[in-house]
Amino acid sequence: MSVQVASGVIDAYRAHPAHSGYDELAGPHGVRPHQSALGETIESLGLSGLLAARAEARGFVVDEGVVYGSPVQRTSRLWNIDPLPVVLDPAEWAQLEAALDQRSRLLDLVLTDLYTDRTLLRRRVIPAAVVLGHPGFVRQADRIGPAHGRHLLLTASDLGRDDSGAWRVISDRPQAPYGAGYAMVTRRIVSRVMAGLHRTSDLARLRGFFHAMTTALLDAAPHHAEQPRVVVLSPGSASETAFDTSFASTMLGFPVAEADDLLTSHGRVWLRAGQRLEPVDVVLRRVEATMSDPLELRGDSQLGIPGLIEAARNGQVTIANPIGAGVLDNPALLGYLEPVAQALLGEAPLLTSPATWWCGSPSALSHVIAHLDQLVIKPLSRGTAPVVYGWELSDRAREGLIARLRAEPWLWCGQEPLELSTAPVVTAEGLEPRRFVLRAFGVAAGAGYTFLPGGLGRVAGTTGERTVTSRLAKDVWIPSQGTRLAPLAPARPRPVVISPPARVAPRVAGRLFGIGGHAERAESTARLVKIADDLAEDYSSRSDSPGALAMASLIQAVVATTGVEPQEWEPRVDYLRRAVLDAGSPGSVGARAEQLVAGAQHVRDLLSVDTWSVFGRLERTLADDLAPDDQLQPLLDDVLESLLAFAGILSQSMVRDSSWAFLDAGGRLERATRTAVLLRQTLSDPAAGDLVAESVLRACESIITHRRRSAAGTGPSEPRESALVLLVRDDTNPRSIAHQLLSLAADLRLIGDETLAGQADSLRERLDSLPLDEPGDWLDRLTDELAGLGARLAARHFVPQATRHLAESFGWGGRS
Amino acid sequence: MSRRRHLVEHLTRYRYDAPVEAVYNRGFLRPRETGTQRVLTSELLVRPEPDQLTEHLDYFGNRSTYLETRSPHTEFEVLCRSTVEVDQPLPDLNRLNRHTVGQAARELAEVGDPALLADFGLPSPLVAIGDAVRAYASAVLAPDRPLGDALAALSTGIHHDFEYRTGATSVATTLEELLTLRSGVCQDFAHLAAGCLRSVGLPARYVSGYLETDPPPGGEKLRGADASHAWVSVLTPALGWIDIDPTNAQFTDSRYIVTAWGRDFTDVSPLRGVVYTEADQSELTVEVDVTPLDNP
Repeated sequence: MSVQVASGVIDAYRAHPAHSGYDELAGPHGVRPHQSALGETIESLGLSGLLAARAEARGFVVDEGVVYGSPVQRTSRLWNIDPLPVVLDPAEWAQLEAALDQRSRLLDLVLTDLYTDRTLLRRRVIPAAVVLGHPGFVRQADRIGPAHGRHLLLTASDLGRDDSGAWRVISDRPQAPYGAGYAMVTRRIVSRVMAGLHRTSDLARLRGFFHAMTTALLDAAPHHAEQPRVVVLSPGSASETAFDTSFASTMLGFPVAEADDLLTSHGRVWLRAGQRLEPVDVVLRRVEATMSDPLELRGDSQLGIPGLIEAARNGQVTIANPIGAGVLDNPALLGYLEPVAQALLGEAPLLTSPATWWCGSPSALSHVIAHLDQLVIKPLSRGTAPVVYGWELSDRAREGLIARLRAEPWLWCGQEPLELSTAPVVTAEGLEPRRFVLRAFGVAAGAGYTFLPGGLGRVAGTTGERTVTSRLAKDVWIPSQGTRLAPLAPARPRPVVISPPARVAPRVAGRLFGIGGHAERAESTARLVKIADDLAEDYSSRSDSPGALAMASLIQAVVATTGVEPQEWEPRVDYLRRAVLDAGSPGSVGARAEQLVAGAQHVRDLLSVDTWSVFGRLERTLADDLAPDDQLQPLLDDVLESLLAFAGILSQSMVRDSSWAFLDAGGRLERATRTAVLLRQTLSDPAAGDLVAESVLRACESIITHRRRSAAGTGPSEPRESALVLLVRDDTNPRSIAHQLLSLAADLRLIGDETLAGQADSLRERLDSLPLDEPGDWLDRLTDELAGLGARLAARHFVPQATRHLAESFGWGGRS
Repeated sequence: MSRRRHLVEHLTRYRYDAPVEAVYNRGFLRPRETGTQRVLTSELLVRPEPDQLTEHLDYFGNRSTYLETRSPHTEFEVLCRSTVEVDQPLPDLNRLNRHTVGQAARELAEVGDPALLADFGLPSPLVAIGDAVRAYASAVLAPDRPLGDALAALSTGIHHDFEYRTGATSVATTLEELLTLRSGVCQDFAHLAAGCLRSVGLPARYVSGYLETDPPPGGEKLRGADASHAWVSVLTPALGWIDIDPTNAQFTDSRYIVTAWGRDFTDVSPLRGVVYTEADQSELTVEVDVTPLDNP
């Protein structure tokens, strides 16, 4: 069928010189039938509509902070989404699913054999060196199997079409499959950008896959676990796929844990939860196998847990995927799966790979060398050497490669290139056909595997590229066939237990406390600068006026708060501008905001998704170039608005558990300290002017209360005295030190620390002794007391495990 | 040499200048049963008392010990005390010499267990086979040389070409570096011999164990003077695995006690640990005693 509405976008696409092979959208006879709705949408949007959709998708990515790469090391890039989904024919998908199911069952059997009897090697079905020479084969994992169920719990495979349009497997990625989180977030964004099309397309939903994964992980727990606890072992927020890890953990409902959060004791794995240890039954492993247990594998790894493998060996914990699964990520293995399928399943594989020759076999090596310019040359182990396209080689490079193949043939294989289909990508010049790869995700369920409907699509960076290495994502749509997957029943009944309040690991507690502090620091500094700037705009030319004295006093407070020093002769407004925008000074508002956002990356899974659009706005505000004539006030208002929005999210959408308590405590202690320092700086002197006191009251959001009370006669009329009373010991003022200490005590009780809560209470009692005449020394002592309380809090709740060392001796030997 | 009985005591002690919070260990300390070695008794004494001590037979059939100690301490000690009986005859060189090096490699490739051939025939983390190793090997392990003579020549050759010197090498020393340094310890020589053998197609494994040393002439044997030892074992078509000690230029006999074997040191490190501590200094003491018992 062809499309009648004609903006001509599709005709132009079909006429594109690179639109020559199998295309997902349009075949030789026009738009493919199952793509007709998409085709109509494309035509009705036209190029300008498509570009608008692309920009809108970009906006959502920015708002949600979807990144690939390390957000902490600032090497991250925004996730890139093309707005056009790839729609797959549901009948074709059903076939592909059946084929993937067979393949997953096969790989599970292969994995089991390779870590038990190795019959496949002994009977020479697979050459032994293909497996035993692969660094992903972990001998320490020998004979560690699940007590029940499948060895290979999760699967991920990259698929592409050959020139006939048939799906083939390019590679398997079972090491620590990631990407389902990206697929989900891509769906969420594309479904909003293409809302009309999405509404009328009845699609197979993605959420069910995560439910299946949750069920599979819980079911994989060792038998002794009545109420299994699962953690997602993460290499940390500095890892490239940190976003996917925290997103997936939120979908699954399991906490993210890093090495410092876990330990082994008495042969079991435990989560450091507050001051307790809670047993862990299943580890969803996002840390590469060789890094996951420094006792058994790479001793320099800081990402793993010593004793993890032993706990798995003794059936105390299930690791998914098991350590050693990476041996299946092996292109040479693809060349043997046909006989392997016959040997293990008695079936021919439904899904095959491009012809592959393992160079360890002399005849295959000769073939690969003779056909080098038609083959893709891959190392057995991903990442140990670049993938080489034979036809791109210079003569010299070719000779060099042949020498390497001959020297260590067992480390290499040659593979026929896969043509790959194309899919349309929105560009400013129109739709461009780019090569398309699909990563399919599976999880063990019932007698087989269940798959994420569709998966994560990716397209090449340019039309010319024959391989897909870019991270331009495509949502993949599978129209629902009316049959809804019934939710899978768990393999065994699970009691519903009212859990005690969730306790967080010391690392997480410290991060949350830090975030609370960073947010408060950014906010209080912004407020202070705002008031100082206001005074500077009004009084900077009149040097002896009370206004100028107040300005000087407030500027001194800004210096003390930010550590940013004014230059001689620098106009005050320019100085204040630096105190806000100079991200190079660690105390500036900009730097505080950066610290806040960076800190939040470490506990992404605990924060609402709305946080990221607020942070995005905050970062954009502070990154704006301020023209010399522009006023600082509107920018500060924007900053404060973002910070208030963040505070609103915390107060409105976080459950009052210990996570929230640590976050709140960080803000409370910081606000108490800031206020004490500000008062010390500005109001110690009984002669401080009324305008200074009023400015301080404004900076602390208490000026209205002061005016109301002084007018009604319920508070001191003298502004300095009123400021001291209101900001130090008035329990009802949410900006007072007294209020912070009471809230801190409540937070500490929520955390379960009665000792420190009592200390916060008694510190509150002492506030009543505030000497109004000469409060300077008293405020200094208070600041010290607050710092001491903070230090005790850290020492009781944020302590990491001791530094890890590898002890091994080498270099002796008997000589008779 | 006839059957011999030995008492082997292997003590490892760490002392720290600040408390250790936790220590995890993987050890290959207990002798293993072989065709020529029987383990009569074996006990493992750990101080402080470990929270967890588990053992299993590993991938290579070695007895592998896992220790976990989370009680705070500044001194940590592991003593393994075993009695073993060894009856290891010297190999029949004439039978080995019925194959040349090349014939042996070809025959093994055809009939050998493919998993064994791959495990012990391919390079491994500490046995990388580069041009220098190939060149060194080709001089002694020529394809047409009778196998027995070639193996003896490999052993005496390394002994002759390399100086025995502790401290010259570390666990990070590559075979290429060793060939330049021309000095090292038994682990290095075992790795080199394994690399040479694998480079000509003969599967070779790294063997970790002990050697009963003779007291200095006229002297009493000193306590703790013995050491862990390492040598190499090569697969032959006629006699199966043959053990060669390049450090001492000899085939092994009943004075050699086997604890474990693997592809190289990394598979069978006698005691490896991960320690959680803020201590700056640690002091390691290793004492090994191999005492002859009344021989049967």
